[in-house]
Amino acid sequence: MKQTIRVTVNGRVYQEDVEPRILLAHFLRENIGLTGTHIGCVVGECGACSVLLDSKVVKSCLHFAVQADGREITTIEGLAKDGELNPVQEAFVKNYAFQCGYCTPGMVMTSYALLQTNPNPTEAEIRKALAGNLCMCTGYVQIVDAVKEAAKQQSTAKV
Amino acid sequence: MIRFDYQEPTTLKKAFSLLEKHGDDARVIAGGTSLLIMMRQRLLMPKVVISLTRIPKFDRITYKPNDGLRIGAGACHRDIELSPPVKKHYPLLHETFRKVAQPRIRNMGTIGGNLAAGDPLTDPGASLIALDAEVTLTSSKGQRTVRLDEFFVDYYQTALEAGELLTEIHVPPPERPGWSHIKFTPRSIEDFATVGVAITVKTSDGTCEDIRLGLNSVASTIVHAKKAEAVLRGKPITEAALREMAEVASTECEPTDDNRGSAEYKLDLIKVLVRRAAEEAVQRAS
Repeated sequence: MKQTIRVTVNGRVYQEDVEPRILLAHFLRENIGLTGTHIGCVVGECGACSVLLDSKVVKSCLHFAVQADGREITTIEGLAKDGELNPVQEAFVKNYAFQCGYCTPGMVMTSYALLQTNPNPTEAEIRKALAGNLCMCTGYVQIVDAVKEAAKQQSTAKV
Repeated sequence: MIRFDYQEPTTLKKAFSLLEKHGDDARVIAGGTSLLIMMRQRLLMPKVVISLTRIPKFDRITYKPNDGLRIGAGACHRDIELSPPVKKHYPLLHETFRKVAQPRIRNMGTIGGNLAAGDPLTDPGASLIALDAEVTLTSSKGQRTVRLDEFFVDYYQTALEAGELLTEIHVPPPERPGWSHIKFTPRSIEDFATVGVAITVKTSDGTCEDIRLGLNSVASTIVHAKKAEAVLRGKPITEAALREMAEVASTECEPTDDNRGSAEYKLDLIKVLVRRAAEEAVQRAS
């Protein structure tokens, strides 16, 4: 039986009727059309579906949409403001931090969440935070470089 | 995904009445990191899923110097990792929880769900055993307290009975200042351990006054290595004694072959890692 849920996604409120078995990742893509969140393994291994749930980074394939009722979600579509990319997105572009691009939304969301709690991470901390986000093209070096640059950009922007 | 009804009771009482009503047809969910995967694989096919996340204070973490730490079963791994009293008074727990999977899973998975699943591969149980933790099991009829090492019964089996929920984890004030945690992962950092070792020790003048040793990923349950503890307890701490303890610990484990290593390899690894962990714990104790 469908249940009505109300969630705030990227600042906009959505009220939808969903079956309990619908995963949050599928809800974001299919019910409200935000296809930036990618679905890879659907068993919590690959990290492509990472989103922020009440400001904490989670895997949206390991969550039923009904569990998110009343909560706030940020997806990759919510990072750019007024047509300006977020510094993390900007740094990914500049550093060629993607090849096929499939893992990129998850990588960006995880990196964004890391820099929210740790604005100046060491390389080891970056690699640790990104463990669990798999890049099948194995372009990890550029991704780590991008996160480093984003951290630098954010700290100079604040001064 | 299979079809099911979803319920969100707002009190424990309501949760118990739902559990009673639906019996074996029902499964409880908190973080969902374990249940959801099992449902996808059709290993579990509940008709009703009862979420515990709307129960107030179910995720509360409190600390009192004379009582110790009380963790609500709904607390997620990440909140335990970052809890100030955990960092300050239970460095072994802080160290353990920061090694569980990776932050996205730690933000979701709860300690109650972790322990109640009875999965021998996960990290928290071994460290909680090394700290003499006990769990509160609650049903509509009342409450009982079970030592964590007696809570784990077999592969994915615990002492939880029908209609019971794991509601709280109690960790008494630490009595042994020395500690160590080793999680050996040959593939990548967020993987399950090939072997996990947690140890606490109290020493005095080079003698081991008391010790606890927990291991994960080494048997059908998380292991409390009591025979190994007995080797060192009350004895002078020498290299030979530590080696003997590690040797005995390996006899208390029954690892199996899997993609993290062969059983034979894991037995060798236990001997090395238990000794190393003990050395580090002894160093920290003095």
